[in-house]
Formats: sequence, structure tokens, C-alpha cells
Amino acid sequence: MSTSEPKPESEQSGQPAIDLGTSGTSAATGSVPPVSVKLPAPTAWPFVLAFGLSLIFAGLLTSAAVSTLGVFLATAGAVGWACQVLPFERQETTQAKAEAAPVFTSRPEIARIQTLPEMQRAWLPIEIYPVSAGVKGGLAGSVAMAVLAVVYGLISQGSIWYPINLLASIVYAQPFQLSTRHLDSFHPELLLVATAIHLMTSVLVGLLYGVLLPMVPRRPILLGGLVAPVMWSGLLHSTLGIINPLLNQRIDWMWFVASQIGFGVVAGLVVAHQERVRTRQHMPLAALAGIEAPGIVLEKGSKGEDL
Amino acid sequence: MSTMSVAIPEVERPWILPSKGRVGMFSLITAESAIFTIFVVAYIFYIGKSLTGPTPQQVLRLPIFNTICLLSSSLTIHLAMRALESGNNARFKLLWFLTFALGSIFIVGTGREWHHLIYDEGLTISTNLFGTTYYSLVGLHAFHVTVGLVALGTVLALALAGKVKQEHAYQTGVLSLYWHFVDAVWVVVFTVVYLIGR
Amino acid sequence: MASDAVTIPSSTRLPQEAEGTWLETLHGWVTTVDHKRLGLMYIGLALVFLLIGGVEATIMRIQLAVPHAHFVSPQVFNRMFTMHGTTMIFFVAMPILFGFANYLVPLMIGARDMAFPRLNAWSFWMAAFGGLLLYFSFIGGDGLYGAGSAPDVGWWAYAPLTSPAFSKGHSTDYWTIALLVSGFGSIGTAINILTTTLSMRCRGMTLGKMPLFAWLNLVMSGMVLIVISPLTAAQIMLMIDRYLGGHFFDTQAGGSATIWMHFFWIFGHPEVYVLVIPAFAFVSEIVPVFSRKAIFGYPVMVAATVGIGFISMSVWAHHMFTIGMTSYGNAFFVATTMAISVPTGIKIFNWLGTMWGGKIRYATPMVFCLGFLFQFLIAGLTGIMLAAAPWDWQLSGSYFVVAHFHYVIVGGILFALFGAFYYWYPKMTGRMLDEVLGKWHFWLFLIGFHLTFDFMHIPGILGMPRRIYTYEPGRGWEGWNMIVTIGVIFQAAAVLLFVANLVRSYFKGAPAGNDPWDAWTLEWSTSSPPPAYNFAVPPEVKSRRPLWDLKHPEDPDWKYE
Repeated sequence: MSTSEPKPESEQSGQPAIDLGTSGTSAATGSVPPVSVKLPAPTAWPFVLAFGLSLIFAGLLTSAAVSTLGVFLATAGAVGWACQVLPFERQETTQAKAEAAPVFTSRPEIARIQTLPEMQRAWLPIEIYPVSAGVKGGLAGSVAMAVLAVVYGLISQGSIWYPINLLASIVYAQPFQLSTRHLDSFHPELLLVATAIHLMTSVLVGLLYGVLLPMVPRRPILLGGLVAPVMWSGLLHSTLGIINPLLNQRIDWMWFVASQIGFGVVAGLVVAHQERVRTRQHMPLAALAGIEAPGIVLEKGSKGEDL
Repeated sequence: MSTMSVAIPEVERPWILPSKGRVGMFSLITAESAIFTIFVVAYIFYIGKSLTGPTPQQVLRLPIFNTICLLSSSLTIHLAMRALESGNNARFKLLWFLTFALGSIFIVGTGREWHHLIYDEGLTISTNLFGTTYYSLVGLHAFHVTVGLVALGTVLALALAGKVKQEHAYQTGVLSLYWHFVDAVWVVVFTVVYLIGR
Repeated sequence: MASDAVTIPSSTRLPQEAEGTWLETLHGWVTTVDHKRLGLMYIGLALVFLLIGGVEATIMRIQLAVPHAHFVSPQVFNRMFTMHGTTMIFFVAMPILFGFANYLVPLMIGARDMAFPRLNAWSFWMAAFGGLLLYFSFIGGDGLYGAGSAPDVGWWAYAPLTSPAFSKGHSTDYWTIALLVSGFGSIGTAINILTTTLSMRCRGMTLGKMPLFAWLNLVMSGMVLIVISPLTAAQIMLMIDRYLGGHFFDTQAGGSATIWMHFFWIFGHPEVYVLVIPAFAFVSEIVPVFSRKAIFGYPVMVAATVGIGFISMSVWAHHMFTIGMTSYGNAFFVATTMAISVPTGIKIFNWLGTMWGGKIRYATPMVFCLGFLFQFLIAGLTGIMLAAAPWDWQLSGSYFVVAHFHYVIVGGILFALFGAFYYWYPKMTGRMLDEVLGKWHFWLFLIGFHLTFDFMHIPGILGMPRRIYTYEPGRGWEGWNMIVTIGVIFQAAAVLLFVANLVRSYFKGAPAGNDPWDAWTLEWSTSSPPPAYNFAVPPEVKSRRPLWDLKHPEDPDWKYE
């Protein structure tokens, strides 16, 4: 069985002490002769220490006698534990019966997963619009939308300032809380706010078009001119009460959708007519990261260099 | 420059892993640092929030001598380790004893400071928030110093009995890591309690 | 390296037969420092507490099944939810995960034992005595005041509920010292696992070749060191307040109740990741084996785990949006909490990538892992909802939160854990768990889980607060609560089936052999159960899947890694 053997062992770090019957790490073949293995000897002292510490705490809640017993046990446990490891770790030797049990598998065949790089790429746009296309489209659309909105203001209220004031009331509704007459008149600060909102939103939506349209390359005008404005109008229809209550009270949804479609058609047309550029996704990582790596990076003059 | 192929013989490369004792001690130090961090945060959070006196400005005096003793013990234990590694046992015993003595002076000094605060100034752990945070933070550190002193004392006793030799440099080295940590914590405690908190 | 270079000791010996009297057997278990026996003891301890915690949960659900119920008194109800939470986190989840780590990490890295075997024993006994102290409160909690019994302050134990004025007697103190004692044990185990993975690896196993299980437990241990300590510190402060008249959490003397919340959640939220990272570890070992493919994105998995470890340290205050932090504070914790879903998402995609194109075997361990993947995703999604501060203001402290974190812990961690049981039980005992019973266990538990925790979200949205003792009819809560309670029946039946399977298979299960799953990590090269010395000859590895290299000498992994 096992014998307790407090034998000095000088190596203290790394692997547990082992005595190999044969030297060398793993060169044996067939059956291995029995080797003697040293393992840490069982000991109760950690148990005693843990019990003592628990009793010390429990004594705080019950009585000093319990804590006293705990201190006694913990001290005994600590000393006993120290004697286990000092000056040398107490170990016991067991004989390891090492028979050869070869590792084998019942599934020796290996199948490789076939990957077709170009198939995986098929869904990504190979070519995209540059950022400037989105900005241009957004600006063009903003003009179209502004014209439609002003026409609406002239027809319905006889004032071109009416839609502008309504738009500005997203951030600046306070002046209109008392009377509605002001909505028809000219307010320079509201014109400024409305222009800023209009331009910012238009450019952002234009950029979105620039990103989205290459994904649906076949019918850009259908998506950009009709589908997107209708969806956008639907979203606004449900949330406008929170964003702009004043506009929500007075909005004419037919005209609103019409001006959105006007924006969409113009922005879509402008974006779709911009020149496309190739994405860099076919280039190797080293080239994308800008690392100079001969042999990996494409040679000069080839496609992709001009990006 | 010409190149020629050289056959590199298959040599058994040594398989070296980080030492158990040091990794374990650094883990323990990490855990202890987290405990101290919480107490230090609590101390800083409660600076100036006491509803009643005494305040730190009124009662705390800078423990300069104590601090010098504790910090210099870091130096002596380092030199002691150097002596043990080079096999100079007498020098090791002297420096180790010096470390133990300096640590003991620190604990006695803390005890005197507490005695003064409790009996002369009337500050106890339940007096106000300053008392609560001060005694728990400094007390936690003093507890660690005490544990360290017990360990140092054990090694000292073994050394005086002639049982600590050059080959035990590894275990004593791990213990000295703990002592360095206790000293480093004092730098933080000193800064927070006696410099920032006053 | 030739295929016959590593020889494996095989032995058909079944679990430690009693070689002497039962007293000698007992003595052997009490004094053992063997990581495998300690691992089994951890698991056994946790299973006992799992049943106790389950009974407590069942009592709560019976009480809440119908309006105006009086199955238990309000006082008992408070004790039940406090004990349920404390037990499940500290005396079920932690010990069971430590148990698996204890058993498997040395085997996986080709070591004979943990780095500090005696510390290992000490840590286990600290955890065990901590649990005993907690449950001793049922007897001893009265203390001098004649009030109390088991702790009833909730597992958060918010101040000032824990102050001597509101928590008379010793029930809260038993809670405190139980967590202190078991916390010391946890720190000990964490030091041990961390040191073992760093300092005990076999020849050739660099950090980049370590099995993911060992890697994830390394990260978990590092986190335990950093996050259990604040809890320990806070418990010491609470003891100082209660016993020495300190004022840390005493608002009347200028102390702050909020700082207890901060200290608790600095522990509390990373703790969730401490628990879930070992669950990730199980899944990362089981999914590749049952998909017959190497893990997808090994370095990214490691990086994501380390990332989770770091980010999880800075998200705690999302439990505290309702205390009224500054908007900068809110924004910071919203952002960090949302950010942590990125590395978590990376992991989910890596497991999916591992399965993609694989030859998936739907054995019980794998189906539990599939359940884990699906449910953990949903748990993460409700987590993102709660991470948004305005949403949290509405739902904090409601049953929606309870449903969310049970989705994480039961739907995620417990499912992965069940998978781990079915996967490694053959290694630990030498016998297979019964597959038919296993599938029954899976389906019953799945149905019960979804009945309970899917429908628990709804009363939360309808305004039902957590920890409520009972409620009035007519608020739209009663039907949902009945469904939730019915789900418990299925879960309880499934767990009983599982326990029956554990016991029955120990005696009558099919012999497992060394390598029943045709797996690739080192533990499957030893006999089942492994001998005390694990490996007669310390192994040497060249890749992340050493057994693959041996099984397919013509196409070894190390050519590619």
C-alpha cells in the first residue's frame, strides 16, 4: 500500500515530485514498468484549522467558551499544518501500475468542411458608393422636400413659413403654446433652427441611402423612393406625438408622405448615379492593416491599389 | 554575408513554469489588496462626515518614527534574503532579527497611539465615523503586521535553532513578499489617514 | 512524435471500494488532500444544498400561486427568499463550480494534484462549515433577544435592515459569518486554481495550448480574488457596526446606506460572471466534442473571457439606477453594461461557429448545451433591456428582474452544469449516466423552466414587486403566478429524476471505459475514475487537443496551431 515517508526533497517549485522508474519523459512503448509516485500525504490539520476558525466566529454569537475552543483548535491546526510542510512536504509513495492502454478512436476518418470563399462573399456588396454620394443625394433630396413643403404651406395656409415654423417646433415649441397666429409669420431664429434640422436629417438619411442602396442594387428608386419613405413615415406616425406634439396636431399625412417620397426619389436618383467604388474586402488582412508585406500585399498597378 | 545551414541537434528544452509559491503569494496579495481597497475607499468616503468630534485634525499626530521603522524593515528583510541566498547565515540571522524587531516596534507604536487616542482623547470605534473608519483601517493593517510578525518570528526561531539554511531561501523569499506587501500598504494607509485625512 | 509515444495506465477498478470499516472510509475522506476526492465532496455538498434551496423556492412558489394565500407566515416567507438566494449563490453555485474545477483542471493540464493540496482541503472545509453556520441559524438565530431565527434581510442585506435596531437577535450575524467563513474558503480555492493553471502544466502545454476549460477557470479564479474580497471587507464592516457600535452603515451617525449597496454590488455583479464563466467552460469543452470539430476561434474565446473579466468589474451600479445617481454615472454604467454584451456575443458566435458544419451528436450533454445557448441568449437580451437606465427605473425590483436573472442562472448556468454532469460523470465514477432518463430529465426541466421563468416576466411588467408576500386578486397577476408555480412541479420532477439517475447509474450504469465520448482533452486518457496519481507518466502535449494527435497521427493538430 502506501508508506508515510518524510524524505527530504529539495525541489520546491514546479511539478510534484515524481520518481520515474525509467528516466526520460514519455519515450516508453508497450507496457510501462511500475513506477513509484509521490503524492502529498493525507492530513487532518486543514480540517482542524477550518473547524477552529469557524468556531472562533460562531463563538462571537454564542459564548466565549466556543471561541476559546476555536482558538485552541485553530492554533493546533496551524501548527500541525506547518509541521506537514516544514521543513519538507510530507509525502507518501504509491506504486503506479501503468499498463499500456493505447488511445484510439472508432472514427478514424476525417472530413474537411468545404468552403467556397466566393460563395460566402456573394451577399456582401462588392462595390459601394463613396461617402460623398450620400451627402450629395441628401442635399439634393432636401431641396426637393423643401420645395414640396413650401408648396404645401402656400396651398393650405397661404404662407411659406408655416411648415418651417412647424419643423422648428421640435426643439423650439414654446413661442407657439399661446396662439396659432404666429405660425404663419416669419421668425428668423426659427428659420435657422428649421434649416439646421432639415439639413442634418437630410444628410444623415442621404448617407443611409448611400449605404443601403448597394445592398439592393436592382431597384434603387423603388427602395429609396417608395419603400424607405413609407416606412419612415410609418415610424414617424407612431412616434411624432413624442417628438413634436405641435406638428402632430397639425400634420397632413398625405402631404407629408408626398414630400417624403419626393425626397426619396431625388436622393435615390442622385445617389444611384454616382460612380461606385470597389470595397477592399478581397484584399488580405496585411494590406488592409497597411502593413508592408511583400508577397502578401498586392503588387503595384493591380486592382485595389487605387483605393 | 553568407549563410549556411546548421543542423540544430534535438535537445531537451527545459520546461520552466512560474514558481508555485510566488504565484500563490501574489494571488493572496491581490485578494488582500482588494480588501484594503474597500476599507480605504470607505475611509476616504467618510472623511469629514463625522457628526461629532473629535476630528483627525484635533487628535492625530504623524507617526514618523513608526513609519521609518516599518519601511526600513523592508530594506532589512531584502538584505536578509540576499544574505541567505549567498549562504551567509550569521548575517541572515542578524538582519532577520532586525526586521522582526523593527516590525515589533511598529506594532508597539501603534498600540501606544491607540492607547493615547482611547484614554486621552476619548476616541473609540463607536465615537463617530472617524473612529469607526480609523480603527478599522489601521486595525486591519495592524492585524496583517501581527500575522507577518508571527511568521517572521517562527522563521527567526527556526533560524536560531539552526534549521534555516541556504536551500530555504525560496520559502523565506515568499514570506518576504508578504512583508513587502504589508509595508507597501502602510504607505497607502499613512497617506490616506495622516496626510489626506488630516 | 509517434502515436505510441504516450502510454496510458488503464485500470478497471471502480470507485474507491470500502477497504476497511466505514470509520476508516470516513477518516480517509476527512483527511484527504486529493483534488479528485475534494472535487467530489464539493459537488456532493452543493447537491445537498441544491435540494434544500430548491425546497425553499418551492415553498415560495406555493405561497405565491394564488392571491391571499397563507401557506407560510410573512416572517417565514422572508426567511425563505433570503435563505434561497444565499444558499443558491454561495453554497450551491460556487461549490459546485469549484468542485468541477478542482476535479478537472489538474487532469486537463496533466498534473498530479493542485498546487496546494492542503489549502485545497482547508478551502473545502471552510465552505462546508460556512454552510453549516448558515443553517445553524434556524436553531441558533434567536440569540439573546428571542427574536429572529433564520436571516430574513434578503440576500443583499441592505442597510439599514441589518442594523441592530431592525435586525434583532443573531440571524443576520449567522448570515454574515457564514459568508465570511465560506468567503475565505473561496479565496483559498481561487488562489489554488490560479496557481495550478499557471505553475502545474505538463510539458509542452503553453498558455496558448491550455484547454479552454482551464483558461476560463483561470480567469474565474482571478475574478474571485478581486470580487469576493470586497464582500469580505463589507461583512467585516457590518460586524463592526453590529458588535462594536461602528457607524459604517448607520445613517443616523452620518454613515451611508448607499455605500453598502456599492460594496455589495461590486461583489454582486462580477459574481454573476464568476458563476457563468465556468458554465462557459463546460460548454466550450462539450460543444466541440459533440460537434466533432475543434473549438472555433480559440484565441478570441480567451480574449473575450478576459475582456468579460475586466468589463464586469465596472458594471456594478446598474443594480442601483433607482438610487438616483448623476446622469454621468447612469450613462457610464449603461455604457459598460451594454459593452459587456459584446464579448459575450462573440462567445455565442464562436460556439455556433463550432457547430456549423459539424457532425452533431445529440447526446444528453449536448442537448443541455443547446438549451444553454438558446436560453443564455434570451437572458442576455433581457439583460440589455434592464441595462437601459429608463427601462430599469420602471422595472427595478419587479418580478421582471427576478425572471431575468433566473434565466441567466437556471437557463444558462444550471443547464450547462447539467450538461457537465452527463459529460464528466463517466470519468468520475466509471459508469455512464442513463441516456433515456437523461433525455426525460432534459425535456421535463426544459418545459418546467420555460413555464416558470418565461411567464415570470409578465407579472413583473404588470407591476408585481419581488419579495412580495402575497397579493390581491384582480391585478392580472394571479393566472401568471399559477402558471409559474405549475412549472415548478416539472422542474422538481426533473431534478428528482436527475438525482435518481445519479444514484442508479452509480451502481447499475453501463461501464464507461476511459474515453466514452471520443474526446480530446487529457482527462480522457486516464482510467475512469482516474487513479490517485492521475498519470503514471506525466504526459507531454504538442497541441490543444493532445488526444486528437494520438488518435489521428496522420493529421495532428500541432501542424496547424
